[in-house]
Amino acid sequence: MSVELPFQISIPDSKLDLLRQKLALTEFPDELENTGWNYEEAKLNQDLPQFTKDIDVNGFETLNIHYVHQKSSLANAIPLLFVHGWPGSFIEVRKILPLLVQSSPQFPAFHVVALSLPGFGFSEGAHKPGFAPEQYAEVAHNLMLSLGYHEYVTQGGDWGYLITRIIAHKYGGKHSKAWHTNFPLATPLNFSVNPILFLQHLFTPYTAAEKAGIERSKRFEKEGQGYFHEQSTKPQTLGYSLADSPVGLLAWIYEKLATWTDSYPWTDDEVLTWVTIFYFSRAGPAASIRIYYEFIHSANGSQPSSFEPTIPLGVSHFPEELRITPRKFVHSVGNLVFQVEHSTGGHFAAYECPDELVDDLREMFGKQGPAFGVVPGKNGYEQRIRANL
Amino acid sequence: MSSYKIDIPPTALSTLKSRLENAVFPDELEDSEWAYGAPLADIKRLVARWRDGFDWRHEEQKLNAELPQFTRDIEVDGFGTLNIHYVHKKSERGLGIPLLFVHGWPGSFLESRKIVPLLTAGSGDARLPVFDVVALSLPGFGFSEGPKKTGFSFTQYAEVSHKLMLALGYTEYVTQGGDWGASITKEIARRYGGEHSKAWHINLILAGPPETQDPSSYTAIEKDGLARLQEYKRSGNGYYRIQATKPQTLGYSLADSPVGLLAWIYEKLVNWTDAYLWTDDEVLTWVSIYWFSRAGPAASLRIYYEVERAGQGIGRTSDSHIPTTPLGFSHFPKELGRIPKAWYHLVGNVVFEVEHDSGGHFAAHEKPELLVGDLQKMFGKSGPAFGVVLGRNGYDG
Repeated sequence: MSVELPFQISIPDSKLDLLRQKLALTEFPDELENTGWNYEEAKLNQDLPQFTKDIDVNGFETLNIHYVHQKSSLANAIPLLFVHGWPGSFIEVRKILPLLVQSSPQFPAFHVVALSLPGFGFSEGAHKPGFAPEQYAEVAHNLMLSLGYHEYVTQGGDWGYLITRIIAHKYGGKHSKAWHTNFPLATPLNFSVNPILFLQHLFTPYTAAEKAGIERSKRFEKEGQGYFHEQSTKPQTLGYSLADSPVGLLAWIYEKLATWTDSYPWTDDEVLTWVTIFYFSRAGPAASIRIYYEFIHSANGSQPSSFEPTIPLGVSHFPEELRITPRKFVHSVGNLVFQVEHSTGGHFAAYECPDELVDDLREMFGKQGPAFGVVPGKNGYEQRIRANL
Repeated sequence: MSSYKIDIPPTALSTLKSRLENAVFPDELEDSEWAYGAPLADIKRLVARWRDGFDWRHEEQKLNAELPQFTRDIEVDGFGTLNIHYVHKKSERGLGIPLLFVHGWPGSFLESRKIVPLLTAGSGDARLPVFDVVALSLPGFGFSEGPKKTGFSFTQYAEVSHKLMLALGYTEYVTQGGDWGASITKEIARRYGGEHSKAWHINLILAGPPETQDPSSYTAIEKDGLARLQEYKRSGNGYYRIQATKPQTLGYSLADSPVGLLAWIYEKLVNWTDAYLWTDDEVLTWVSIYWFSRAGPAASLRIYYEVERAGQGIGRTSDSHIPTTPLGFSHFPKELGRIPKAWYHLVGNVVFEVEHDSGGHFAAHEKPELLVGDLQKMFGKSGPAFGVVLGRNGYDG
């Protein structure tokens, strides 16, 4: 059993000096109060209890994984694994964390684990080729087990969607009990697989939201996927730029932060904190993009249609998500028991719309919800002690 | 018009050096070689050489000695005046056929370096035609100004090229192009063919499939060429997809990091050539032209965006007006791909075709003798394009 070590982000001055040199700063920004990396670092360390732990991965080396872990004050809170994507990080849990761990008779409480995926944030990256989404799923699952969470639920968007779908498929039932996503990458319905849904889809006119979503998806495919193609074919070539140029890295990520969100009013320091995590990541920014290459080259390169996770699935739809598919298609993703439509919000739902996302999770797992009590003995509510009559 | 010597200011050289000194490298997966992109050992070695040892001044002087260069203002409809940099060398004997050489990306006027002496040589077989060579830096590349507004596509690149030839007194001329040069010279043949562009030669043939296809009729070479094209689209055109959609986003990296720029270009120099034995200094000279370019490296990417926006991207044959101007092809096996003969009518009026068994994308740089040999055959006394330019057939008198 590997040892959990507490972790504090602490970027050495030498690295800060080199960054400043590259940015040709003549003034140390921390001279101003309440701003600059040291300030943001301290806030992160304060807001997010972090740890590291060695996790084994079948066929690969042991990886030292960085993660946020906060337990609710409620003992039988629902263990929830939050999985980020690219260009996200553990920082995306920052706003939902304090809400999720809250205990109340009105809604369920959660114990929250948010890992840095291998190659992201302060987790080690794999050193060998072939570390595909299945391996990311294994790391996440093994982390939960090592924390004593043999039964848990998951929330994920972007790569977090695919990784938690793999978790639902491979470890679902026994370990993963339900999963929620804000990025359901649905495939078109197949008549032979889902005849009723197929026909329903054929004969039900699209809603205005669906039409807008389809247009948005087409535009994304046509104009917004260049990064995907480069990252999934020549990540090393691009990696030199992202590693050597903080300006280049900033632009590469900032473009997504702005275009993938729903008019989210990013402050400059918010953007810089987000990007600085990539710049100072343990494995370096080039490592984070390899997941694209490994995904395309893995045996289950495209949406694995053989995956049919049976555990309950909840979906939250945000209108400015990158890909919006017709609602009926979502049933091809998994065992859909819960679905919510929002009128605002984009790709980084946990960061842009933390209240809405948490409300959705509370509803899905709450007393009236379709996934209430999926984790035996941990339904997220105060246990009432029954008097022995 | 002014004569031009490349003379990069000392501050630019010292900025480059200090960036190279502050280089931060990524790691690399074990035994990954070229699979994920340019290998770390190569890039580190090249950066070390670029930082200490590579002598830009020496390379600059060599280029200035070999290639007579000039600049001239060219007016472009809707875009104002652009100052264009170009090489211009006249034939050493006889009446050289005016030949415009048009490069692509990540190429430059440098690609004319080896073919210029061969095309213009006075000595050698008098049975072979000679040429006057003009090799421009496309707007946004090398030492030409770049356009300041959006919308600068094939029409404009062709216009600049054509007007340059006219300005040099060549009312009739022929062209040679690869990469974007192939598309641009096709546009030249379309717009200015007959009266001005008298014949065109390309080494990259990409056009969309015709409406009806019969794949069973393709030869083994053609099938292989299509397969190479498929592979290029599958694993080799990520750069195209990002450059055609978000050139500015990528541009920050290439402008700020010489290491990033080096890797971005070096990967193509190796992947697109046929086992060409690049020396480090050769690569660094090539990339330095991008780093020191007048408009900056980000500007060179915009052609992808503008071309796609105009609906003219690779594999698209959007217009039915195919030039009738005589066309010559040279096929090099390690080119990005090729199309079957059955699709040629979508490109132009093929009068000349040569198959080679070695060479890749940068034909003028990799196989200068072969390419020049092809041009000499096409335009020579028994060639299909002999005498296309009135009064300048490449021979004496």
